[in-house]
Amino acid sequence: MAIRSQSAKLDVFTKIAIFVLVLILSVLILIPVGNVLYKSFQPGGIDVLRDVVENDYTRQIVLNTIWLGTSVGAVGTLVGFLLAYVQVRVSFRGKKLLHVLSLLPLVSPPFAFATAVIVLFGRSGIISNGVFNKEPMIYGYKGLVLVLATSYFPVAYMNLLGMLRSLDPAVDEAARSLGASKFKIFRTVTLPLLIPGLGASFLLLFVEAIADLANPLVIGGDYTVLASRAYVAISGEYNVPGGAAYSTILLVPALMVFIIQRYWSQRADVVTVTGKPSGQVDMIKTPLAKYSLLTLAWSIAAFVVLVYSMVILGAFFKVLKVDYSLTLDNFRYIFSGVGNDAVLMTTMLALIATPIAGFFGMMLAWVIVRKIKRGGQALDFFGMLGLALPGTVLGIGYAFTFNSPIQVFGITILPQLAGGGAILGGAVAIVMVYVIRSSPAGQRSGIANLQQIDPAIDEASASLGASGGRTFRKISLPLIRGAFLTGLMFAFARSMTTLSPIIFITTPDTPILTSLILAEADTVRYGYAFAFCTLLIGIVLITMGLINLIVRKTQGTGYRPITVSAG
Amino acid sequence: MSNQSGNLKLTNITKIFGNGADKVTAVDNFNLTINPGEFVTLLGPSGCGKTTTLRMIAGFETPTEGDITLDGKDLKNLTPDKRPMGMVFQSYALFPHMSVFENVAYGLRVQHASKQEIETRVAEVLEKMSLSHLAQRAPNQLSGGQQQRVALARAMVVQPKVLLFDEPLSNLDAKLRAQMRVEIRKIQQSLGITSVFVTHDQDEAMSLSDRIVVMRNAVVEQSGTPDEIYRRPNSVFVADFIGRSNFFKVDKVESKSKGNAKVSVNGESMEVSAHPNAASSPNPVLLVRPESIAVKPAKSGKSHGTVTNIVFYGNHVEYSISTSHGEVTAIESDPIYDEIVQPGNGATFEFHPSRAWLLPNEGKIVHEE
Repeated sequence: MAIRSQSAKLDVFTKIAIFVLVLILSVLILIPVGNVLYKSFQPGGIDVLRDVVENDYTRQIVLNTIWLGTSVGAVGTLVGFLLAYVQVRVSFRGKKLLHVLSLLPLVSPPFAFATAVIVLFGRSGIISNGVFNKEPMIYGYKGLVLVLATSYFPVAYMNLLGMLRSLDPAVDEAARSLGASKFKIFRTVTLPLLIPGLGASFLLLFVEAIADLANPLVIGGDYTVLASRAYVAISGEYNVPGGAAYSTILLVPALMVFIIQRYWSQRADVVTVTGKPSGQVDMIKTPLAKYSLLTLAWSIAAFVVLVYSMVILGAFFKVLKVDYSLTLDNFRYIFSGVGNDAVLMTTMLALIATPIAGFFGMMLAWVIVRKIKRGGQALDFFGMLGLALPGTVLGIGYAFTFNSPIQVFGITILPQLAGGGAILGGAVAIVMVYVIRSSPAGQRSGIANLQQIDPAIDEASASLGASGGRTFRKISLPLIRGAFLTGLMFAFARSMTTLSPIIFITTPDTPILTSLILAEADTVRYGYAFAFCTLLIGIVLITMGLINLIVRKTQGTGYRPITVSAG
Repeated sequence: MSNQSGNLKLTNITKIFGNGADKVTAVDNFNLTINPGEFVTLLGPSGCGKTTTLRMIAGFETPTEGDITLDGKDLKNLTPDKRPMGMVFQSYALFPHMSVFENVAYGLRVQHASKQEIETRVAEVLEKMSLSHLAQRAPNQLSGGQQQRVALARAMVVQPKVLLFDEPLSNLDAKLRAQMRVEIRKIQQSLGITSVFVTHDQDEAMSLSDRIVVMRNAVVEQSGTPDEIYRRPNSVFVADFIGRSNFFKVDKVESKSKGNAKVSVNGESMEVSAHPNAASSPNPVLLVRPESIAVKPAKSGKSHGTVTNIVFYGNHVEYSISTSHGEVTAIESDPIYDEIVQPGNGATFEFHPSRAWLLPNEGKIVHEE
């Protein structure tokens, strides 16, 4: 039947859940961002905002940022699409391996790539100098696009892979039986159906690229963008309102793109829901097409491997470019100093944040999809902001907001959470950043999964007498366990590798790995940076494996969640 | 396990979705009293409000106005989980991560039944539904008919006072559907559970129900036993929706008495049963079901029309005859093949006046099927 709205009466559990979710989102997002906006209109900030119109240099920074975002969006989407297309439409040996390599960049701190690329292709780089004996071209715009596109294309890859898989082969077969050639089908059927997905991927990458802070600092050279300019304003020039103002400018394209992206992905939903796929996907068999696609795909994978090997091998070389004998000196150094504490602190805080973020994201997804008719869209938007907002903006906002106790009418509501002298050395604020940065991933996959599950299943549980809470625990959560797991792993990887918001709130009491790596890379001590990166990648991979194991063990019922159709 | 309670009463139920310009009245002033143990079907085309009504009974929708009571108790402030009802969904809505046994046990676990009791009662109901050998299977390993039975078992095991069915048979093939109809009816009668069944399939409604409520555009068109609905429909809509119909123009109403009227059709005058409002309506029509019409070859210039098409089904033959009343459909059971009037030939037809029913016309005759 057509009418399928959610429960008319909300039970107590759901009402409390909605209230708590909105409250948490307000504290974690609204107040900090509001503070950034407020600060940027104070003296020092106003000047920067005016300069966007009046000063050529400031305007150039804005244009640089947008041009960088556009380039990374285009290149990353293209690479992601190529890999996804090869994965779905070409049969070849090593498919699984290519898939893993296509996802690998997700688990690395982005500037590990920047550092590796500099060592390989930079000033007196191993390849640029050693092999080609040329002047480096890698600093600035080109290097940034290369590094950012390599870091973020997996996002586009995952997006498009899912879409390509859900395309109904019957549509292709219909076109084929009407006499269209394979290339014509690709051009007139496949590609148009994918346009919303391509658009959404482009915009996602655009936001990631303009918000990135670490890479412009390491490899940007003279190519200044808003994120790095804001960082320099605050930590170099001590112009806090100025930094806030640069962040506010950054907020405009980020939010605009986020809104457009939402529009695209909603269209994408409409286009791709095809019900049960029928028939067989028509594989590409023409040797020319097949082998050119494979060559391109494996070249990209080879580049990822090259960069990764550089990071890991670099950690074991004695002195890069001078002495390639293997040594553990780099690790000895990082474990001798603050590195030891940083490893423990970062891992611990990420481990605390991960289940909170995972649960929070799933809870949001459940309320949005199942429980509220109106306002679901708004709540979804609100929740996704944690990812859409540039990390710089969040970090600055947290520094402003939580560096002093929050008081209303002289009563302290929240003690000081961030900065030196805060409770627990500012660890609370860092966990809060981790949670809000990584919960959107859980939220998104939770929503996608819940929407595939017949709402009648929830209703069946209710009609058998189960309360809202019981239905969430016993029915919805187990059914989206896969999504929950993915959400958890993504949350952890994201927390461990995030830098831009952390850099503004880390304190001597809470040394965070990513900010130590940046410090080493900044001072050209690449061996130490690589050792940190290797360690970080190791921790992320091991913990992801463990989470996988734990969730499967504790929740295993013997029945794999299946896609439920109403037909 | 006969259940004496289960008296469901819906009073002046109205449901409006949206507001302002988008306002849609899904159910308009709906009244229905269902007796304990009665099987009532809500029947109507898509969008007539039948599912919305069912969902209001279950508690998934809140009526905009009106009251729903069960055994005199107001259900207004009870969420679905607090209502003693079991529901069978169109998509079955089995929990895909639980075995058949766990699916059926779910409602008992919610009630904190003892382990012993759960085992006994689930085993009992699985036995009844011939599902015992499938207890450990996952839902996606079952056929459509088996899933349907699990859904029914899951709803029944908690011994609800009311069973609700939301088009539960629409995903089954024709043969299985007929079989499940019989099974559902048998079980419902043996348990004596009050049941409300939503469907758009008139065969389902006719074969299952003690009473049928025909709905159209958010209002009740008619409520009655299958026999009343079929033979004495309230309106041209109901007549057309239930079964197949021929409507003949009435030349004039010659006289009327209580429940009867003398009318002339095609120059012949006859005494027929009549709807109370029919004789005084400006353009009454005469309903005759196709199976009541006998077709003969036209003889010596006397012809009512020309046969345009015949369909031979083996056990019956179906005629389409073009007449001055429009197209007339006639069904002759057990035909003798050689005597079938072939297309292109003239034909006469006749029906016994006792098989006809005079109806008020709502303005236009609804399309012929």
